[in-house]
Amino acid sequence: MEIRSYADYLRALDDAAFISIFTHRPDLVTPVPPDIASLAVRASSAPSLARAVDGLNKWQLQVLEACAVLNEPFSEKELTSCTDKSAIFTLPGLIERGLLYQDKDGLRIPTTLREVLGNEIAGLGPASMGALKLKKLDEAPASSKKVLDAMLWGPPRGTIGDIKKPGAGVQWLLDENFLIPFNQTTVVLPREVAIYLRGNKVHRELETFAPPVTGESRNPKSVQLAAIANITTFLRWTEEVLNFWAQEPPTALRSGGLGVRDLKELSLHLGVDESCAAFVAEVSYLAGLLTIDPDDKILPTHQFDIWLLQNPAVRWQQLLSAWLISSRMSGLVGKEGSKNVAPLGPELDRSLAASTRKLVLNLLCENSEIAPDSQSLYMTAQWLMPNKRSGGVQEDYILWTLREAEWFGITGQGAISAYGIDFLNGGDSAAIISDLPQSVDHILIQSDNTAIAPGPLEHEVAQELALIADIESRGGATVYRFSESSIRRGLDHGRTGEEITKFLKKTSKTPMPQPLEYLIADVAKKHGKLRVGNTVSFIRCEDSVLITQILGDKRLDVLGFRKIAPEVLICGHDAAEAMSVLRSFGYLPAGEDSRGLLLSGPRIQRAQTKARPPRIIGEIDKPDEIQIQNALRALRTGEKSSRKQSTMRNIATEALGSLPRTTANETLELLSGYLQNQPATSLSIGYADNNGLVSHRIVDPLKLSAGSLIARDHATGEVQTFRIARITGVAAL
Amino acid sequence: MTDGPLIVQSDKTILLDVDHPLSTECRRAIAPFAELERSPEHIHTYRLTNLGLWNARAAGHDAELVIDTLIKYSRYAVPHSLLVDIAETMSRYGRLRLEADPVHGLILVTTDTGVLEEVIRAKKIAPLLGVRIDKETIAVHPSQRGQIKQSLLRLGWPAEDFAGYVDGQAHDIALKEDGWKIRQYQEHAAEGFWHGGSGVVVLPCGAGKTIVGAAAMAHAKATTLILVTNTIAARQWREELLKRTTLTDEEIGEYSGSKKEIRPVTIATYQVMTKKKNGVYAHLDLFDTHDWGLIIYDEVHLLPAPIFRFTADIQSRRRLGLTATLVREDGMEGEVFSLIGPKRFDVPWKEIEAQGYIAPAECVEVRVNLTEAERLSYATAEPENRYRYCATTRTKRNVVEEIVAHHANEQILVIGQYLDQLDELSETLGVPVIKGDTPQKERERLFAAFRTGEIKCLVVSKVANFSVDLPEATIAVQVSGAFGSRQEEAQRLGRILRPKSDGRGAIFYSVVSRDTIDQDFAQNRQRFLAEQGYSYRIIDADDIFQGKF
Repeated sequence: MEIRSYADYLRALDDAAFISIFTHRPDLVTPVPPDIASLAVRASSAPSLARAVDGLNKWQLQVLEACAVLNEPFSEKELTSCTDKSAIFTLPGLIERGLLYQDKDGLRIPTTLREVLGNEIAGLGPASMGALKLKKLDEAPASSKKVLDAMLWGPPRGTIGDIKKPGAGVQWLLDENFLIPFNQTTVVLPREVAIYLRGNKVHRELETFAPPVTGESRNPKSVQLAAIANITTFLRWTEEVLNFWAQEPPTALRSGGLGVRDLKELSLHLGVDESCAAFVAEVSYLAGLLTIDPDDKILPTHQFDIWLLQNPAVRWQQLLSAWLISSRMSGLVGKEGSKNVAPLGPELDRSLAASTRKLVLNLLCENSEIAPDSQSLYMTAQWLMPNKRSGGVQEDYILWTLREAEWFGITGQGAISAYGIDFLNGGDSAAIISDLPQSVDHILIQSDNTAIAPGPLEHEVAQELALIADIESRGGATVYRFSESSIRRGLDHGRTGEEITKFLKKTSKTPMPQPLEYLIADVAKKHGKLRVGNTVSFIRCEDSVLITQILGDKRLDVLGFRKIAPEVLICGHDAAEAMSVLRSFGYLPAGEDSRGLLLSGPRIQRAQTKARPPRIIGEIDKPDEIQIQNALRALRTGEKSSRKQSTMRNIATEALGSLPRTTANETLELLSGYLQNQPATSLSIGYADNNGLVSHRIVDPLKLSAGSLIARDHATGEVQTFRIARITGVAAL
Repeated sequence: MTDGPLIVQSDKTILLDVDHPLSTECRRAIAPFAELERSPEHIHTYRLTNLGLWNARAAGHDAELVIDTLIKYSRYAVPHSLLVDIAETMSRYGRLRLEADPVHGLILVTTDTGVLEEVIRAKKIAPLLGVRIDKETIAVHPSQRGQIKQSLLRLGWPAEDFAGYVDGQAHDIALKEDGWKIRQYQEHAAEGFWHGGSGVVVLPCGAGKTIVGAAAMAHAKATTLILVTNTIAARQWREELLKRTTLTDEEIGEYSGSKKEIRPVTIATYQVMTKKKNGVYAHLDLFDTHDWGLIIYDEVHLLPAPIFRFTADIQSRRRLGLTATLVREDGMEGEVFSLIGPKRFDVPWKEIEAQGYIAPAECVEVRVNLTEAERLSYATAEPENRYRYCATTRTKRNVVEEIVAHHANEQILVIGQYLDQLDELSETLGVPVIKGDTPQKERERLFAAFRTGEIKCLVVSKVANFSVDLPEATIAVQVSGAFGSRQEEAQRLGRILRPKSDGRGAIFYSVVSRDTIDQDFAQNRQRFLAEQGYSYRIIDADDIFQGKF
């Protein structure tokens, strides 16, 4: 079959070729197009081509640019002569992506690709209209040569004072058609001239190979040690963030995300800088361990409780997997010189986030012996992802990814750890479990009222201890401090003095210091002596002395107490306020409900809603084999049925002898085929007007753009825009 | 992962497991660079600070050694960022050096021109500098030697001072070891200081810092100015010097509020030095009256701010700081480091304790219940009278009686703040009382009698217990007295209480009213004393009455 168009080329492909196209360009099968014509339209549409181009490395991009500069069809020889012999090896890659195809005359590229690559590809101007005597350029006068040198490597446009009175150098070039006047003050260097002067090459320098990644070499053993320290730390951070917020959930900003003050508080609590605190919060959010509930409270989810029950390896993997595919860049939080971006907020999505992350991690894997220098990593990444459309790989993203990988323990001392490699290869990271410090189930209590857990504490013990003591120092070990207020907190949570003492005696490896026992007993004895009502707001105490003391306490005057019985006071303020005032002046009240039952204190909270981790944007996953096979089958079927339909219609049309009728895809295919081959004939189209009346037009298509056909209408002789959607059919005349 | 005795925390504290077999070895290894913060019974807490790390550098330890030590003894993997931070911090010390130059006088030399460029652009530094000599050298106004060290430290680029010292006026001083011997660590401390030039010696209370001072004077053999906290300390120094050195009474002068003697060895108090007359420090001249060869600062952690200013001007004289701790409650550790010098020697408490030179006393808090009536009066008392009320409650008197009766054969001091309470106690116990208004003669007589054992028990006021000749006792009972600096408290404790010859420790009782602010004060004391390694326990007054101690 004669290959006329891109669609025809696609039709002729075998399954293997399709599979490779779909693997490289997953957007072509999401959703699966109905037939090959639609596939061809999608594959040669600008957005899809741009995505495909994004996936090229620098060298592939340069070859593709060279292809775009050549006149179609072109031969491999033409291509290699304007680039390099090794360009031949990049061709299969381009063909696999459907960015280049071969018909009987030679190589071609999809028409829209030129637009995608930009107006002035490789700094080259448009092709000249007429034939040029390029040899003459060698004899150009010196002043002209100077002009040519300035414009040689692009941009190909030059500004002059006035086109009517150019200097001698420019005049000579204009005369010889080596420059084309563009408007009153601008001249353009035609492509042929530039290529000739570039020595028949397109690029000044060909970047055939990626620059190597350099960095300091690291001892694998210390890398492992550092990584395990990082992993332990990160898991601890995550747990602490969520426990912290379970007790005092921050409220999300109206614009979404965490407020500056809450972030500061969090970073203080964790003892890390704000960017790190933001990262820990973000990762918890991504993994669904916390969510923003309908009341705008930021709370841990039930998922967090499940997560806590997992072993450290699974916990680590869950966080890591969420981070790996996320399109959110938490590094943007607190970035210097940019506006304030809130963590957990809506402004963190960046389309290149996940791909940059994968790229960096791959480079780390490939250079596992060293801690790559970020600058060299950046250079390599730029070669691998030259990506013109979005400005290429951002250096910030690379720095952030390296930083985050270190926090995570994917790397240790900057070099990738065995855990990181294992995870990226889909391993189960089981090594972490054996390498992590074993959790301990005991504490050491000392007589300065501190308790030290000499290692990661078992979950239940840690939870219980956190109730009755304040954490003073974190790390491999945890230092807890007992104080009157921390013991009171335990009592507020419904523990009794005896229970606390018993728990500590059971958990402590060292004998319980006597002063601590006294402290607990003292607080327990006093705790609850005062009971404050919630609804009627009363204060009662069996100890009338204390009542007298309170009544006499001038600092409590704000509460407006009135003594209603020797043991009861009432107060004009609500109970919570009364309690806080009392506490602030050193009393130890306990809440009581209207039936006289003791209210227990604040509970650790969980969100009632389901986890809704943020959506991932920008990236489409690589389809697996089954998906591709399904897509292919659907395509083939669609193709058969549409061919059948179109045959039926043609028979009908012939019978009716009326307006041409084609499907939208056929229409596009015919039009782009026309534009590509530029035959001498005109086209006949059916075109519906605003009222749906279809008229018959004879047109010469000029351009397809933005869903419209721009063509010269034979009836009016003017260039007109036809909406593709309104074209009922196309036929060659 | 090893099974070491050390746990390095992410907040730069280091926990040392005392019960670990390697703990002694490890303690010695980390002592040069980590500051001991707390030393309760099981786990000691050290802290890594910039100054601590620079101190280590000044003592010739490098970052590699510090990092290796941490890794070697650490139980868990040490966070990499912390190690990087240590290396980074330590590498900052010594990139700038102050040196003497035959032509330009004092010069600032660097091995890293970038750093020099950075500091000469700093606003605070620029006015202190002279002409640029070459890329790596710049002249410094000699009078600004102290200033520039201070400012450089604040910038985070501490300079090493190699500019040397003046010898001062020679004066023969030697140790006189008759009937006593300088302890080995004291000798090491003095030598460590002498070789370092200037700096601070850190020794725990009661470890004989005065003798280190005397030994340093014997090294210097020059006129010496000694700055001490108060008159009592001044007299103590004088006595010690007379006892331990060849110095005679005529050679030692006291420069205080009451006396203004300037002699080859002059002991001045901080108070008189910082006294202002018509808005100027009138006694500043003392620094210049003599060509001092050595200046000793006692209790460096209490050194008042104006003294630092004087000290900045005398950088060419040798300076020795003596202290039990480098931690200052006002956070001026940096001034000590830059103006007096880095830490030259320290030895952990436990080590000296193990050698039998000091023994921590046992502290016992006795909780007294107020009677119903007392509680009611306490509750209704004005806040400013509350402490007095609960501190002087009647019930305490009975408790003190019991304690004194229990320790009938030992030397007991009863210490209190309120005079009427002390008078009552003296009456109840039938023992003499010494207060601020007790005549000196009477005081001396009573103290002498107490020393000989003629009197077993004395009641003394707070004023009296500041007295230098306060005799040593094995039992102290404190009935009232709010506490100023916690540091001072421990020092006083250490001075009064000496271990008994039979090895039994001394006991410090404090009698406290339950559920009052008296108890709150006691809690702070408990924390501090426990952190210092004293054992602490609480008993009920009722137990005392039943003879259960």
